[in-house]
Amino acid sequence: MTSYSATTTIAAHAVRLALRERMVALLGLLFIALVVISAWLGWSATSTVNNIYVSAAAFLTDTGQVVPPNPVHNISPLSLMRNMVVYVALIGALSAIVIGNRLVALDRRNGVVPLISIRPVTRAGYALGKIAALVVLVGALTGVAAAISAITFLVLPQTALTGAEWLRLLGYFGLSATYMLLFGLLALASAAASRSESVGLLIPVTIWLALTFILPSLTANILPTAAINPIAALAPAPDTAFFHWTQTLFGPLSLAESYKIASAALLDFLPAGRGGILPLAATGWLFTATALSAASAAYALTRMDRTTGDLDV
Amino acid sequence: MSNPVISIQHLTQTFRGATAVDDLTFDIAEGEVFGFLGHNGAGKTSTIHMLTTLAPPASGTAVIAGCDISTDPMGVRRAIGYVPENVRLYDALTGRENLKFFAKLSGVDDPAKRVDETLDLLDCKDIADRRVGDYSKGLRQRIGLAQAVLHRPKVLFLDEPTSGLDPMGIKMLRDIVARLNREFGMTIFMNTHLVSEIARTCTSIGVLSHGRLVYHDTMKAVTARYGDDAALEELYLSLTPVGRLAGAA
Repeated sequence: MTSYSATTTIAAHAVRLALRERMVALLGLLFIALVVISAWLGWSATSTVNNIYVSAAAFLTDTGQVVPPNPVHNISPLSLMRNMVVYVALIGALSAIVIGNRLVALDRRNGVVPLISIRPVTRAGYALGKIAALVVLVGALTGVAAAISAITFLVLPQTALTGAEWLRLLGYFGLSATYMLLFGLLALASAAASRSESVGLLIPVTIWLALTFILPSLTANILPTAAINPIAALAPAPDTAFFHWTQTLFGPLSLAESYKIASAALLDFLPAGRGGILPLAATGWLFTATALSAASAAYALTRMDRTTGDLDV
Repeated sequence: MSNPVISIQHLTQTFRGATAVDDLTFDIAEGEVFGFLGHNGAGKTSTIHMLTTLAPPASGTAVIAGCDISTDPMGVRRAIGYVPENVRLYDALTGRENLKFFAKLSGVDDPAKRVDETLDLLDCKDIADRRVGDYSKGLRQRIGLAQAVLHRPKVLFLDEPTSGLDPMGIKMLRDIVARLNREFGMTIFMNTHLVSEIARTCTSIGVLSHGRLVYHDTMKAVTARYGDDAALEELYLSLTPVGRLAGAA
């Protein structure tokens, strides 16, 4: 058996097993439901404003007054998807953590690691199979979200996207998939390296909590409640020595903030004064962190104990 | 020895400075059913872990079916099957689904067909479509054996295969092992601490005590020299410190 087909077998099997898991299915469905809600909110807000405008324009025309331009056209249509940024940072990342954990924990909990390891499969092939399974599952989630968003834009006649805007939307979903993968890969690494299943899950969840709620409050004065507001989360930090130093020290680690800034730049709702090099730097940090996370997953998976592979419950 | 299928050379394993397997050197001929006898903690499982490439040796090496465990682990894996002491499979999947996955992973050409053939061979087709989580210990052991022979390996490693089985299960397993040896010429390497199992199933025997091989011979020679099962038990007890302690008591 070639290492390619062994890797494919590992990946396909891991995907099938993960899809049978109730928790994975539940979080996946929740994420999709939130994407639908986000799309509906954007569609509903735009339609409402447009309907009011049409009525007002008719009235103004009838009374011989000047009709102002449609306010729907004053904002970028892409910004309708701004709620999605929060859903990806919260539920999307959490779903990726659960998926990443299950992909390895199921092998370890069932005690099949020795039976897989005595087959002609290299350690690298096993690791690659698990990472490929994660990419497929996170890609599928992001793909469904992208399809729902695309359909929303296609059924909104007032918001016809230009070619460049479609590309930016595609870029946003690529960025979201990268952000989710970052956490999924951390969960893979943690599930492979931890002796206990609960610790394997708790480590990436703690990192996720720290990145989503704690670091943004230290580096940008974003309180946990504000972190779930797509606009408030982008407000600049107060101009004080404390925030200057925390931003210098922890800014690059505040990946949830980086994701929101880069997404806001792509979806055209970045507040004035927060443009320039900031979105590019944020994107750079995200890709670097995801690459490091992938390296840690590959390292942990290739060094996993093969003789038992068992977990302490 | 003519045509050894397993050739072990100075194989040693250490854990945190303690020696678990100490300089093992011996050969096993093709087609033998080798019984590896030893008390709990003697180093039997550590030896199997090294021979199946699950753990690298601290020093020494072994050649299995012409492949060195250190330099050609992939070749070794193609030539072996392994049934661990406690057979663990995906509980949420059926026996057939488990077997199909392991058949694919072993590089079997037509996995579905081979799974059917193996289920027939081990007479467990009737349980194949039930979830493994619902299996008894005996059924689990049979499916565990099935996953180990899907690719018709040259050498089959069994780690305490009768552990936890009832007399019926033990007899069934013994018959299957004999059949695999007879019909496919599989060489069997069986870890056990049950002297009676060795006497009934094996063609050669090795006794391990505290990581060291203290006895190795064919069953014919053992029987000729020591007589029946009871004498074999006496021999085993005299070779191991645990046994000597029991004898003194």
